[in-house]
Order: sequence, then structure tokens, then C-alpha cells
Amino acid sequence: MKRLFKPGLLIPIAIIVALAIWPLFSGNSASAREAMFTLIMSMALASSLNIILGYTGYVSFGHIVFFGIGGYAGFWVITHLGWHILPAALLGGLVAAIIAWLLGLAVLRLRGAYFALATIGILEAMKALVINLDFLGGPVGLEMHFSEYKRYGGPMESLWMVYWSMAFLAILVIVVSYFIKTSKFGLGLMAIREDEDAAEVMGVITPRAKTWAYVLSAVFPGIIGVLFFFKNGNIEPGDAFRLHFSIEWIVMLMLGGAGTVLGPVLGGGIYQWLRKTLLTSPIFKDYQLVVAGVMLLIIVLFVPTGIIGWVRTRSAKLRRIFE
Amino acid sequence: MSRKWILVFALVLALTWTLAACGGQKAATEAPKAEEPAATEEAKEEAPAAKEKTVVVGFTASQTGKYNVPSTRQTTGLQMWMDEVNKAGGVKLSDGTVLKFKAVSYDDESNKDRVQELYTKLATDDKADFLISPYSSGLTAAAAVIAEQYGIPMITTGAASDATYKQGYTVVYQAYTPASRYLTGAIDLLMDLDPNAKKVAFVYENSKFATDVNEAAKAYAEKNGFDVVLFEGYDPDIKDFNAIINKIEAAAPDAILGGGHFQDGSTFARQLYEKGAKVKFISLLVAPPEPTFAELGDAAVGVIGPSQWEPAAKYTPESAKAAGIEWYGPTGEEFTKAYQAAHDGEEPSYHVAGGYAAGLILQKAIETADSVEKDAVLKAMDAIDMMTFFGHIKFDTSEEAHGLQIGHDMILIQWQKDGGKLVKQVVWPKAGATADPIYPIR
Repeated sequence: MKRLFKPGLLIPIAIIVALAIWPLFSGNSASAREAMFTLIMSMALASSLNIILGYTGYVSFGHIVFFGIGGYAGFWVITHLGWHILPAALLGGLVAAIIAWLLGLAVLRLRGAYFALATIGILEAMKALVINLDFLGGPVGLEMHFSEYKRYGGPMESLWMVYWSMAFLAILVIVVSYFIKTSKFGLGLMAIREDEDAAEVMGVITPRAKTWAYVLSAVFPGIIGVLFFFKNGNIEPGDAFRLHFSIEWIVMLMLGGAGTVLGPVLGGGIYQWLRKTLLTSPIFKDYQLVVAGVMLLIIVLFVPTGIIGWVRTRSAKLRRIFE
Repeated sequence: MSRKWILVFALVLALTWTLAACGGQKAATEAPKAEEPAATEEAKEEAPAAKEKTVVVGFTASQTGKYNVPSTRQTTGLQMWMDEVNKAGGVKLSDGTVLKFKAVSYDDESNKDRVQELYTKLATDDKADFLISPYSSGLTAAAAVIAEQYGIPMITTGAASDATYKQGYTVVYQAYTPASRYLTGAIDLLMDLDPNAKKVAFVYENSKFATDVNEAAKAYAEKNGFDVVLFEGYDPDIKDFNAIINKIEAAAPDAILGGGHFQDGSTFARQLYEKGAKVKFISLLVAPPEPTFAELGDAAVGVIGPSQWEPAAKYTPESAKAAGIEWYGPTGEEFTKAYQAAHDGEEPSYHVAGGYAAGLILQKAIETADSVEKDAVLKAMDAIDMMTFFGHIKFDTSEEAHGLQIGHDMILIQWQKDGGKLVKQVVWPKAGATADPIYPIR
């Protein structure tokens, strides 16, 4: 219980809570809600990826595959079986977890670049599979009837409900991430990251630890996928399995600091905030990608360990506060 | 070790971003800027007594990413309409209010991540009175949810999929001919050309739009007694059609139908020609109507393409009268001339015309409603039944498919050789044809 009241956990949660309730105090709540949704979603996605990439050291380029799988599973039960969004979201997470477990048995034997390439392969293979599955709409995807939102009191209420679910989920991801990091299991993962063979000699059952890390990192993107596509009202293979978005998660993680609890929260937030500001600013809206590209170069060249990584190496005091 | 190569990868990513942004830049900046000088000009001319109201039209455009070209053209068309209306003194309502239009737009980067966020911003922060859709059916489907949520009328252009209009929306109206009627004209033409043609092959891109179109066309072909000998989808990033061409040759169809977007369609046409495949009739989506399709040279000869609109299209006040439909807006000739004057004589593509038509539809609805009040405009939109340079515009008002375009028809063009030069000829519908179709091609 004592572990709950450490600044390492409370700071990221406080950040998410503050962002999540911001729309209630801003003059234009709908617009602020949409902006915060993107921010918080990215934080949760980057934090999920952090479990396998940051703690375990396995670079998963195609991690969005679980976002897509979960999204499809949840969307299908909503549109075809008339499920409520919340159980559907949980189902999305469950399906993503099961698939991660099955895939993990095969691909987690690979290391380094081979694993990273395999994850891209899985992503493309899954996209091709979904395109050829007629019951998932093939390349056309699935659409949801607008009246579905009425069930939750109308489109406005539905969007708010999805928003609060997203915020709650983000906090849950942080809690899980923090507990992994401070647990013996997490220590095992970090040992794998530093030297897998040595970890094995030291008594870490590496296949089991890796599989669990992979499954845990897949559950949340699966749930988030359902929330995101429910909010969008339709799902298509191109959006569900977009490699570019997946790589953006890695960028967010690097920006904040991989292998830390707070890092992905900061990284996801700053990255999306920056992109949005540039995108809607009258001066930069035509140059936003140039600015984003240059920023990324600077970060990669000068602060490769990310913001939190950099802070932690500079100050021993802050190292105790930021996990 | 893994960190090192994340670094390498991120560098590559950063570079590609920068390059992509620079590439998209040129096209993006030219379009939406033209508005301001025009606006100040007429502010001077206008009598100060009239009450002036600015109507905000919001939309996202794909200034970067894969939809950059068609989306930019669409925006150019819409902007052209807006400039013309504002220059002409705006729309005058019966109570003396003068409406001037103002565009607010953001870059959606050709992907869905932020479409809803940006449309919500348009609806709330920017207080958009009316919305225009992004380019492509996928992005439009996401934007429609927001339009419906705020009850802001949205005119879609560049979004042909039928499915979007069957989701119970009440404020979304389609300017384009829907996907289900995109290729059916080609089958009508084939039946007209060769009553003995029996075998057709469909080769299409695995995307939302192309699949919708081809499935509808397949059903139509089967209904008309055709034998579908091949029905094959390909990946949007395809570079090599050899395997598919072999299958086509084995099936020996009388006609090849399909395609998807520009890149794949032109590659397919070129490789068919290079392989010397025997093709009697071919109709592909999207690529053939683009002026740049002519760069394929001999491979382009005979290729037919459905187009939402062509400069040669014969929609005139007279034809409207003959059909008993009200005429509205400029003629095709006026539109083409105005566009060419502003773009070094370049011919407007149907995306430009679609953008302009979206503006016209909005203007007509506002004039009929004599107000910008949303319910009145929606009612006027439902009642629209008019002929414009773009064609006949009328919306489905049934509950199941509200807003679906039911008036507009596709035009078929074919690339033909005229004294060694490639020219685009309208071959269907017969009434508007500028040349006889070539059949069989080779």
C-alpha cells in the first residue's frame, strides 16, 4: 500500500487528472475535450508501449497492431451483436491480449533488429488478413449507425463518456506501469533489457517474463482502439493498422524518456500538443511538419535518453522523485 | 544496441517528414490565400448602410500526405466560388443583410487521427456556420459524426462511398455521384458497343472507395447477364501487375473494369500495354480523367474513365430547360475560363469542379432559405433540384439514405489520338459525347 503514495506514481497521475478535468474549466469544453482526448490517448499508448520497449528493451515498431485488433473486435460486437461500449472495450483488450500471447510465443524468441522487423511483418500481415475478411468489411471496414450514440444519451454524452473512460484508462496504465517498474517482475524485465543471457543465468525465467510484458503492453492499446473507433463511428484497415502512427508512439516515448513511468506521459503530451499547436497556428500551419521534423532531430541528436532520462542523469534528488 | 537504431530510424523519419512537408508546401500555400485582397476590395465598394454578416465555412484539407493533390484542387474550387460570390457583393437576403463568406481550414494530413478534433474546433472555436467535407470517404465518415453532433449542415465533396449516407445522418449532403453508380455507366456503354460481350474482369484497389465501386458494378454486370470471370483486389501500394495481367490473359475477358486511385491506375494501364495484353475495353477509376494521364503516351490510348465532371460536359441552361429542371450558377464555359485565367491555362479537373459545386449548393440553399438559420437551410437543402455546370443536383430525403446524391451522373471519357496528339473525349452519355468510342482498343 505504501507504494501507492510515492511521487513517482502521483506525479504522472496528477498530470493526467489535471489535463482530464481541464475541459470542465475551459470556456469551450468540447474543443478542449477533443484536444485532451488526443493527448491523453497518446500518453496511454506510449505508456503501454513503454512496458515492452522501455522496460524490456524489445523495440516493437508494429505495436499499433493491437490497437487495430482490439478496435475491430470491439467495433464488431457493438455493430453486430449490439453490445454496450464498455464490455466491448474490455473484449477488445482481451482479444488483443490473447493474440499478443500467441504471437509472443513465436516472435519473442527473436532479439534486437529481428524482433523489430518481425513486428512490422505482423502488422502488415494482420492488415492484409483483415482486408480479406468479409465479415470485418474487408477494405471498406465497418460503419456504425448514428443512432447507436442515442443509446448513451446522444452523441455529446457518448463523446464525454468515451473521454472519461479514456482518462480512467490512462491512469490505470500508469498504475500498472509504475507497479511493474517497482516490482521484482519489472526488475527481471530490466535485467533482460541490459543483458538477456545474464538475466537468465541470474534466475529470471525470460520467456515467461517477456511474454507477460508483451501481453500487458497489448491489453491497453486493444481497449483504447475500441474507444477511439467507437468515437470515430467507423473503422478501416488503413486507420487501424497505420505503421506511421505506431512509429509516432516510439517518438513520443523517446521524447519523454523510455523506461521511465513519467517519460511517456510527458512525451505523449508534449508531442501531441506541439503537433496540434503547429497544425492550427496561422503562421505555422503550412510548415508544421518542417518544425516537427527539426524538433525531432534536435531531440534525437542531443537528448537521446529523453527528457526524464536527461533529468535523472543530472540530478540525484530528482532521480528519487521521477520514476 | 536497440537505442542506437531507434536513433537511426528516427533520423530517417525526421528527414522524410521534412521532405514530405516541403513537397506538400508548394501546392498547399497557393490555394487558400487568395481570399484576403478580394475581401478588402469589396468592403470599399459596399454601401455602408447594408448590414453585413460573415458566414464561416469550415473544413479540413489534406495539405500534406497522400490526398494532397486532389484535396488541394478541391479547396481551390471552393475558394474560387467564395471569391466570386464575395466579389459580386455577397448573397443578399430579403431583410437587407448581406452575407459574405469566409473559409477557415486546417491540415488533416490525409489521416483520421485529428479529423474529429479539428472539426470540433471548427464547430466550436471557429463557430463555423457550415462545413465542407475533407477529401476521401474515410475522412468524411469521421467528420460526419461531428457535423451531426452539432447539427451543422455539411456538404461532402470528394467522398463517394454510399455507406456514409446510410448511417442515419440528417445534416450531411453529397455532391458527388455515389460509388454505387460510378462504373455502371461503363457497363451500359459496353452493352451499347458490343451486344455480344459476355465476359468481364474486375481488378481493383483494396480501398474503401474502390471496393464499394467495384462491388456495385459487379452486381450491376451480373444483373445484366455478364459473366464475371475475374474479381481480384490488389494492394494500394502495388508496383507490379504482372501476376494479375497473367490471370487476365488466362480469363480472356471482353472488358477490364476496376482501378483505384491515380498511381495504381496509371501503372496498371502502362503495364498492360507493355506486356502487349489484348484489351478490347478498359475502364479505370480516377486515373484516366486526370490530365497527367496523357504522359503514359500510347498506353493511354483507348482507356476509359468515369469522371464526375469534364470541361467538355454539356450541361447548359438549355439542356436544363429541356429536362424541366431549374438552372443555377455559372455555365461550364465560364467556370473553365475563370479557372484557366487564374492557373496559366491549365484545365480544371473534376476535383476543382466538385469543390466549386459544393459552394454552389450551399449558396443555393441559403438563398432559398433566405436565412443562415440551420433548420431553414437544411430544409432548403432537402428541396434542392437543380442543374448546374457540374450536373444535376438532387438529394435523397428518405430516412435510410438521407443526403445521398441521386441527381448527378458520371461522364465517361476516353483517351483518343487526334493527329498524333492525345486528347480526352467524352464518349458517354451519348447525348453529351464529343467523339465515337474506339472499340476494340487492340
